[in-house]
Amino acid sequence: MGIAEFFQHLMNGLTLGGIYALIALGYTMVYGILKFINFAHGDILMAGAYVGLFVFDGLRGDAPLGTWTLIAFFLAMLISMGFSAVLGMTIERVAYKPLRGANRLAPLLSAIGVSFILSNSAAWAFGTHSRKFNYPFDNTPVHIGEVVITPHQILILSVSLIMMIILKLFVDKTRMGKAMRATSLDQGTAMLMGINVNRVISMTFAIGSALAAVGGILIALDFKVYATMGTMTGLKAFVAAVVGGIGNISGAMFGGILLGLLETFGVAIFGIPTGLKDTIAFGVLILILLIKPEGLFGKVEKEKV
Amino acid sequence: MKKSMFVCFILVALLASPLFAQGGGESASPKIGFMGPMTGDYANYGVRSNNSVIMAVEQFNAKGGFGGKVPVVLVSEDSEGNVEKGLSAIEKLSSADQIVGMIGPVLTGTSFAVGERVQSEGIVMISPSATHADITSIGDYVFRTVVSDGLQGEVAGNYFYSELGYRNIGVLYAKNDYSQGLYEGMTAAFEAAGGKVTIAESFQVGDKDFKTQLTKIRSANPEAIYIPNYTAEMAQILEQATQLGMDIPFLSCDGFSNPEIYDLAGDFTDGVIYVGPAKVKESPAYSDFVAQYEAKFGVGPDSFATNAYDGANILLQAMDKVYRETGKFNRAAIRDAVAATKDYPGVAGTINFAENGDLIAYQGLYKVNGTTPEYLGSYTVVDGVLTKVD
Repeated sequence: MGIAEFFQHLMNGLTLGGIYALIALGYTMVYGILKFINFAHGDILMAGAYVGLFVFDGLRGDAPLGTWTLIAFFLAMLISMGFSAVLGMTIERVAYKPLRGANRLAPLLSAIGVSFILSNSAAWAFGTHSRKFNYPFDNTPVHIGEVVITPHQILILSVSLIMMIILKLFVDKTRMGKAMRATSLDQGTAMLMGINVNRVISMTFAIGSALAAVGGILIALDFKVYATMGTMTGLKAFVAAVVGGIGNISGAMFGGILLGLLETFGVAIFGIPTGLKDTIAFGVLILILLIKPEGLFGKVEKEKV
Repeated sequence: MKKSMFVCFILVALLASPLFAQGGGESASPKIGFMGPMTGDYANYGVRSNNSVIMAVEQFNAKGGFGGKVPVVLVSEDSEGNVEKGLSAIEKLSSADQIVGMIGPVLTGTSFAVGERVQSEGIVMISPSATHADITSIGDYVFRTVVSDGLQGEVAGNYFYSELGYRNIGVLYAKNDYSQGLYEGMTAAFEAAGGKVTIAESFQVGDKDFKTQLTKIRSANPEAIYIPNYTAEMAQILEQATQLGMDIPFLSCDGFSNPEIYDLAGDFTDGVIYVGPAKVKESPAYSDFVAQYEAKFGVGPDSFATNAYDGANILLQAMDKVYRETGKFNRAAIRDAVAATKDYPGVAGTINFAENGDLIAYQGLYKVNGTTPEYLGSYTVVDGVLTKVD
C-alpha cells in the first residue's frame, strides 16, 4: 500500500468515525444520566433529518449556493433541533416515564417499540426511497498531495469535536449539569436534595435528541435521508459508545473515531473482505464486552455525567 | 351429501368426455403438459401462464389441429411452486399422460428439478419464465422463451472489451443475487474475451459508505469501474468517487435505467455507460393477443403469460411439422423441430433459440449525457460473439 493510499484510508476512517462519534454522544449522554439505552435515538436522528430537509428545501427554493443557503441550512438545523428536542421529551413522557419503576428490561423494550413506530411511520408518510439533501456549500474536494478531503468531512469532524467540548463543559460546569450528575448518581437522593428530577430527565432527552438532529442532518448530506437511516448508524454509534465506556462523553468521541478507523483499516490493511465490514463493529462490541465490559474509558466513576 | 355426489358425477362426466371423444376415432391425439403454481403464493403467475397455453391450444384445435385433423390435448398440473410437487407432477405427465412436450415450469427452482427429469425422459420443455442463467445448461431438451439473467452480464463483458476497448476493469458489487450474478456473468465474459477484472470489492445491501472500497479500487488503477447495483447504492458510489477525486469511467447495469438515479446523483451521472433493456417495438400481434386474452379471462396477461403463449405456439408448430412429415409424434423429433425454430413471429417479438436453448434476446446499451440516457444500440451475444442488432 502506497503512502497516499494509507493517508486516504486514514482520512476516510477519521470522518466515518466522526459520524459515529456525533451520534454516540447522544446515546452516551442519556445512558450516563438514566442508565438506560435509548434505542429510539437513531430514529429521532432520522426524524430530525427529515425536518431539516423539508425546512432547508423550503427556505432555499431555487437559490444558488451562497450566503443564503448557509443561513437557510443553519436555520433548518435550529428548527430541526427544536423539533427533535420536543419529540425526544414527548417520547420520554409517553413511553419511558411510566416504566421508570419497572424492571430494567421494560423501558428497553419500550424503546425498541418506539424505534419501530418512528421508522415505520416515516416510511408510511414519506415513502421508502432516499431523498437527496443538497449541500448548502460548495463541497468540491480539497487535494492535499494525493490525499483528498471534502469540506463536508472537515465539518463533521469539527462539529463532533465542538459538540463534545460544549457537552462536557455543560455537564461539568453548569447548575443543570450538576443536577444531571446528581440524578445520575442517585435519583432518590437527588430528589430529596430539591432537584426536580423529572425536569432534569426531560432536559437530558431534549439535549440528546437535539444532538441527534445535528448528527442526522450532517450525515444526510452524505448518506441521504430515508426512513431507516438511523438504524445501522445508530447501532454502530451504540457500539462506539460502549467501546468508549458508555456514559462517558469523551469516551464516546474516542470510541466513534476508533470504530471508524477499525472498519476502514480492518478492510484496507488486515484484508477482511469488504462484504464483512459491518462485522468488524459488532465483533469489537463482543470483544469489549468480554474483555473490558466497562469500556476503554469507563473505569473512573466520577468521569460519568 | 346428495349435492356433492352430483358434483362428483358432473366432474367425472367432464373429465371423461375427452376420453370418449378420443375413443371415438382420434386415437392418436397427442398430449402436451403445462406445469406451474396454480395455488399458493405464486398462483398469479401459474394461472395466467396456464390461461395462455389453454388459449393457444383452443386456437390451434379450432384451426383443425395437426395436419388439419388431429386435435391436441392439454394436461395442466399444479406445482404449487414447490419442487417436490413439481417432481410428482412430471412423473404423472411423463408416464401416465405420455406427454410429448411441455410448457413450464414457471419458477426457477421447480424448473431446475423438472428439467433434470424431462432431460432424462427425452421430453422437450419450454419455460416461459425461469431466468436463472444455468437453467438451459441442464441439457438439450430444455428451452425458454424468456431472457436469461446471464445475457446481461455476457453482453456487458463483451461490450466493455470489444466496443469500449477496456482491458482491465474494477468491480464494486453488492452481496445479493442480482448484483453478484451480474458481476460473475460480466467477469466470465470479459475474461473469456481476454480482459481482466483486476479488483472486485463488495459491500452489504444498505451500506452508505463506500470510500474504503473506492480507495482500494483507485489504488488498483483500473481503466473503468463496473457497478451492477440498485440506484440507492450507485448514487452513493458515484458521489463518493467524486469526493475522492476519482476520474475513472463508470459502467453499470439495468438498475441504472431507473430515473431515480438522476434525482439522487444527477451531478455525477455524466458519462456513465450502462446495459439496459432493449427497445421493444409494439406489434399488432401483441395487441391482438392482449385483447383476446382479456376478453377470454377478464384480466390482462403478464410477461410470463406472454412468453407462455409464444412457447405453446412454438411447441405446437414443431409438433405439427413432425406430424406432417412422419405421421407420428416422436419426442426426439419434436425437440429437434423446436430447436430448429427460425425467426418465429411471436407476440413478444421474433423468437430464435441459441444452441443451448436460451432465447436469443437483446440488451440495449446507453450512455448518459448529463442526466439524459442516450441510446447506443441493441446487442446480443451469439455463441460467444457480441452482435449488434440495430
